[in-house]
Amino acid sequence: MRRIALHSLLFDRGKLAAALLGVALATTLAFVQIGLYRGFEVSSSTVIEHHGGDLWAIPTGLEVLDNAETLSVSVRNLLASHPCVRDVRALVYGFVFIRKPNGTRDNALVVGAEPRAEHVMPWALVEGNAQDLAHPLRVSVDRTDLAKLQLDNAPIGATFEVNNQRVTVAAVTQGIRSFTLMPYLFTSITNARRLMGVVEGHAHFFAVGLHQPQCAAEVQRWMAQQHDVRLVTRADWMKKTEAYWVGGSGAGLVLAFTAILGLIVGAVIVGQTLYSMTKEHLPELATLKALGATPWELAGFVLWQVSLLAVVGGGIGLAIAYILRSVMARTGLNVMLEPGTLSLGIFAAVLMCAVASIASLRTVFKVEAATVLR
Amino acid sequence: MSGGAAPLVQARNVQKTFKSGRLETQVLHDVSLQLRPGEFTLLMGPSGSGKTTLLSILSGLLRPSSGQVELCGVDISTAQDAVSARVRRRHVGFVFQSYHLFPALNALDNVAEVLVLKGIDRMQARAHAGSMLQRMGLGARLQHLPSELSGGERQRVAIARALAGNPSLIVGDEPTGALDKNTGLSVMGALREQLTPQRGVLIVTHDPRLKQFADRVLEIEDGRIVADYAHTAGVNEAYH
Ligand SMILES: Nc1ncnc2c1ncn2[C@@H]1O[C@H](COP(=O)(O)OP(=O)(O)OP(=O)(O)O)[C@@H](O)[C@H]1O
Ligand SMILES: [Mg+2]
Repeated sequence: MRRIALHSLLFDRGKLAAALLGVALATTLAFVQIGLYRGFEVSSSTVIEHHGGDLWAIPTGLEVLDNAETLSVSVRNLLASHPCVRDVRALVYGFVFIRKPNGTRDNALVVGAEPRAEHVMPWALVEGNAQDLAHPLRVSVDRTDLAKLQLDNAPIGATFEVNNQRVTVAAVTQGIRSFTLMPYLFTSITNARRLMGVVEGHAHFFAVGLHQPQCAAEVQRWMAQQHDVRLVTRADWMKKTEAYWVGGSGAGLVLAFTAILGLIVGAVIVGQTLYSMTKEHLPELATLKALGATPWELAGFVLWQVSLLAVVGGGIGLAIAYILRSVMARTGLNVMLEPGTLSLGIFAAVLMCAVASIASLRTVFKVEAATVLR
Repeated sequence: MSGGAAPLVQARNVQKTFKSGRLETQVLHDVSLQLRPGEFTLLMGPSGSGKTTLLSILSGLLRPSSGQVELCGVDISTAQDAVSARVRRRHVGFVFQSYHLFPALNALDNVAEVLVLKGIDRMQARAHAGSMLQRMGLGARLQHLPSELSGGERQRVAIARALAGNPSLIVGDEPTGALDKNTGLSVMGALREQLTPQRGVLIVTHDPRLKQFADRVLEIEDGRIVADYAHTAGVNEAYH
């Protein structure tokens, strides 16, 4: 049955191309939508991930990275006093008002982290280096934000205002974007405190590195008596922040809705394609049935064709998705295509093809052998 | 004629009624007949008399509305689709007026894939298909697609395919209907050659010239068998 099915499929090249295109576009849609969703999720927690640490000290009651009030230096000292704790690194992070070169006002996010060798901040520098940001009132900007910040393509040395202080661009990152698309301005922790008026030693968060990850629960228990600070694992904190932005906000719902809509549209496209192909092959199916093929062998005819379309069309779709990813990355949209989203995309594509073949299979099961004599 | 052998097909009181909406048309009225191995039978009658319907029922493609049909010892009148499919696969070879070859497969694969469907290993199937097509005089056409063959050649491929798997019964509905006179006669000759003492052939036609190939002629009118007579194959009729 495989040979008959595949030869029949390959026989009409025009129809095959149309079918492959349909499947390819549907899978592209699935991969890009899922990748975008995950991209937004990741962008909301990317600073947490890159700042690292096993545990994070966060102000009690805080639901999301972006809304913090500061913690005092005593929290840091307390944490550092526990024998399991290897290091404590501050993160100053928050909204600032900016005034662009032409005088218009906007918001941005300032990030200043205590550096450590494995956790370079910012991590995707394309011009300048992290040391340049240690000079007074130096910041980095992201290449994808240049237009928004009204900077030209060679922004190093350009100046604008952050909270009424004039800053100079000393480095450029590529593709570090926040969930809200508010520009990220990376700088040294000293500069960040100065720009945001944070007292020396204080910070919005402390990332805690442990000698042994197994100590995490013990350190968390030990800190539980503290009223205004909580210790959470970095993974939990990332999930919480992602859930706040993507899960909890309307934006996430819209994204999920478009992703699901994309899959439905894809299933309809593939279903249409398959159905019309099955209709085309009804004479062959009736002949096969007359010659004694069982319903399941006939289903095999359709399933072999679906499988070929799914594998080849899906492969093309994935390739297109990768191309789109690099095109969209230039505009700052992050389409995440890592193992997690890839397997979800493949699962979605397979599900789409399976749903799409239902109508075809129904037709196949209803084929009347006697029609060969009509 | 081997009168003693078990019949290939045994039909008793077969009726067929087609329903479409509230309209009911009775197409076959109380048809009883036997088809025996070693017999080349022609089913003749005017257009609309029920030839195709009867052939479909006798070969297990269609269920009768009432009555009983045994095909190679299996009662297929009430059997499930899967059962009659198995009987067709094992025992029946089909030749159709419009060939119904697989357009995407070459002549060799058209025959071989049906053998594969019947459970024969592909290497063997291809070898067997090749020799069968050779015997049909198509040795030089094995790699041709159906669209690259003449009508007569296509029908010979179809006959080779019908013979694949060595069926006990070969049925054909107007197998020469789309062919010119001489090609039609040579295709009938090829079919006649397939007759063996173990195998029966049933051909529907309304071309009286084809009687020369038959051992037996059944005539049907308005869904009733009105004549059933022996015929000596090879004797030319007045029409010829
Ligand atoms: N599926 C069907 N539904 C309704 N009526 C049918 C169906 N199949 C056949 N008929 C009717 O049954 C009658 C006999 O049809 P059948 O095809 O058996 O005739 P036939 O003898 O083969 O004719 P022809 O020589 O023209 O092929 C016709 O009146 C036809 O309209
Ligand atoms: Mg007919």
